[in-house]
Amino acid sequence: MEKEEVKNKVKKVVAQVLKIDQSEVEDDSNFIFDLGADSMQSIQLVAAFEEEFNIEMDEDEAVAVQTISEAVDFISGYLN
Amino acid sequence: MTKRASVHSKNLQTIFYPNSVAIVGTNKVKGTVPGDIFTNILDAELNGVIYPVSPGEKFIKGVKTYKYVVDIPDPVDLAVIVFPSSVCNKALEQCGQKGIKAVIIISAGFKEVGEKGLKKEMELLEIAEKYDMSFIGPNCLGVINTDPFSRLNASFARKFPAEGNIAFLSQSGALCTAVLDYALAKNIGFSKFVSFGNKADISEIDLLYYLMDDEQTKIILLYLEEISDGQGLIKAAQDVIQKSQKPVLIMKSGRTSAGASAAASHTGSLAGSDQICDVAFRQAGIIRCENIEEMFNIAIAYAYQPIPKSDKVAIITNAGGPGVLTTDAAIKAGLQLAKFSEETTLALKKSLPAAANIKNPVDVIGDARADRYIAAINAAMTDGDVGSVIVILTPQSMTDIDTIAFEIAQASKHYDKPVYASFMGEADVASGIRILQQHHIPHYILPESVCNPLATIYNFCQSLKTENKLVTTDLSFNKDAVNSILSSAQNDNKSYLPEYLAVKVIQEYGLPVLENRFVKTEDEAARMAGEIGFPVVMKVMSEDIVHKFDVGGIVLDIQSEEDAKTAFRSIHEKVNKAMPEAVIDGIYIARQVPKGTEVILGVKKDPSFGPVIMFGLGGIFVEIFKDVSFRVAPVSKQEAIRMINETKASKLLAGARGIPEMDVDSLAEAIEKLSHLAVDFPQISELDINPMIVLEKGKGCFVADTKIIL
Repeated sequence: MEKEEVKNKVKKVVAQVLKIDQSEVEDDSNFIFDLGADSMQSIQLVAAFEEEFNIEMDEDEAVAVQTISEAVDFISGYLN
Repeated sequence: MTKRASVHSKNLQTIFYPNSVAIVGTNKVKGTVPGDIFTNILDAELNGVIYPVSPGEKFIKGVKTYKYVVDIPDPVDLAVIVFPSSVCNKALEQCGQKGIKAVIIISAGFKEVGEKGLKKEMELLEIAEKYDMSFIGPNCLGVINTDPFSRLNASFARKFPAEGNIAFLSQSGALCTAVLDYALAKNIGFSKFVSFGNKADISEIDLLYYLMDDEQTKIILLYLEEISDGQGLIKAAQDVIQKSQKPVLIMKSGRTSAGASAAASHTGSLAGSDQICDVAFRQAGIIRCENIEEMFNIAIAYAYQPIPKSDKVAIITNAGGPGVLTTDAAIKAGLQLAKFSEETTLALKKSLPAAANIKNPVDVIGDARADRYIAAINAAMTDGDVGSVIVILTPQSMTDIDTIAFEIAQASKHYDKPVYASFMGEADVASGIRILQQHHIPHYILPESVCNPLATIYNFCQSLKTENKLVTTDLSFNKDAVNSILSSAQNDNKSYLPEYLAVKVIQEYGLPVLENRFVKTEDEAARMAGEIGFPVVMKVMSEDIVHKFDVGGIVLDIQSEEDAKTAFRSIHEKVNKAMPEAVIDGIYIARQVPKGTEVILGVKKDPSFGPVIMFGLGGIFVEIFKDVSFRVAPVSKQEAIRMINETKASKLLAGARGIPEMDVDSLAEAIEKLSHLAVDFPQISELDINPMIVLEKGKGCFVADTKIIL
């Protein structure tokens, strides 16, 4: 899967989980600081990414991911 | 004052009295720290404007939110950051950009979780310094100011405390919530309430200085887990106590003896870190408390009542037993029973039944109602010999408990002397105790418990009358000479000084040493010994030899030049035989010390408080009896005399059973000078003068042996 496609899917998932408009989600958006994710939503995001991309992520490493672009790189690593 | 301390001094006023507060990273979720902090600030009815900053919410409790703190259109005084630690640096950076100078960082996940957290904490500090901001925390419960001009509850405590004049500062957030609950039950109010957590930026020292000038605060309570700047703490406490006359009570946990076990000298091994903490607190005038109960027992007595006029108490009771117990406790605490005047005795006789005891402790007897108590209180309060009054009540069937409580409170208002109460029991006296607490009459479950707080307050007030500075004398020493010796030794990677240099160091600081020489040849030894005058002692100087006596490296009582030559040869022969590999640098010759009382002086470095001075009886007794006293350096001559008098050895020095009085004055001067040496040269890690020989009064004292470890 191309990185651009991963990014679009990540943004879509984030908008759905955090219940915000996808246009608010930018490449360098920080899940907590910019998008207002709380600890519960961070875990929900990990689960939603796993389902969307059909992967199983290391939870400790996954919650350390802070921004959209970091999430794209992290997920791409699993896909490749 | 350092630059940061000066910045904090200005910003702390904004922390406690903000006109506008941004809660950065808050949310709507009840029962979470970010959610509850916003609710607490809102519910406390802050005397200012509140701006919730929450990237995920449009509004919280009807208040418009902002995505970023920089989006707030108006100026903001204080930011309370509740974001997770991962983004606190971003939040703080934006606060800096917004021009906010005062910040409270509630979030955890910093130094307390290890290396990564410490790095994040250091980042916060860098940002704060860049923008001249000051922050309390991280990892804290928050800050409360009950002053109606502020009414700030920037904390996640369950309740807003009552207004009062006690300031409480704590390194532990959890303890804060327990204290708030305890205080609520006892109607204890606070002026300022601060949980300062990891104290990465603003520390207890900055807070002490702020509270020194805080008009709402009458007494300061502090709970500490670690003392990172002991010298700074005692200086701050001393300033607060002397300039504002506010008592500083500290409860210090985390006692350890690890430092002492690693020490290499007598002084090091005899000084536990907690003992030094005790000493340092005492020197500064800090009242050290063992637990929260003791702390508040003292605090309410000081905060709610006038200070005792004297150490003489009047005890008024309706039961003989508790009166006797309280009398015993008072005497044990160092107080005295007041002796009533004839007028007082007459007044008591008129108003109490014949069976009553009209002497102190006054027994108004079991069937007493409020009128007898009030008559006794009025009589005692007007007696010139009475400094304070303790009222004891046991619940009998006819005792009108609530009325007595109320009348005690009313009566106390007419006098400038303190009243303390003990309504003994629990269920029957509960409402009476509440009445006392509502009227700020300090109440103690056991009447004996009144005496220690009362004595502590009295002693504190007395100590204010005597100047208690750490340094009082302006002495001048040859620092350059000492610096040259120490620097040269350090450049040669030496871990200790040979005795002839150690003696030179203390000599430059005016300590009394006997005339001495360092020689390398037999002829030189004879000539120098003659110059010094007999008898002399000779000691081998070698970096390879620690225990000189064991290898035949010491010869005493040398009476002539010929003897000196013989001793020189003897030392070389014996040492060469015992330790053939040892390199002999030379021989140290000194006048033999006359007979006197042997004492030990020492220096060790405490990780928190810096150089510490020790005094004790010398010889083997120092190890066996541990009859020693300590002070944080520098000490004045007066303090040195107090140090000496604390030990049992002082009796020997004072002269007893045919032993003449020794020269304590010159010994105290030596302690004072040694303490300055320790302060001026922090590279001295340990120093022992063992023994120092104290001669008869007027004849001085002399260093017989000294060891300096770098």
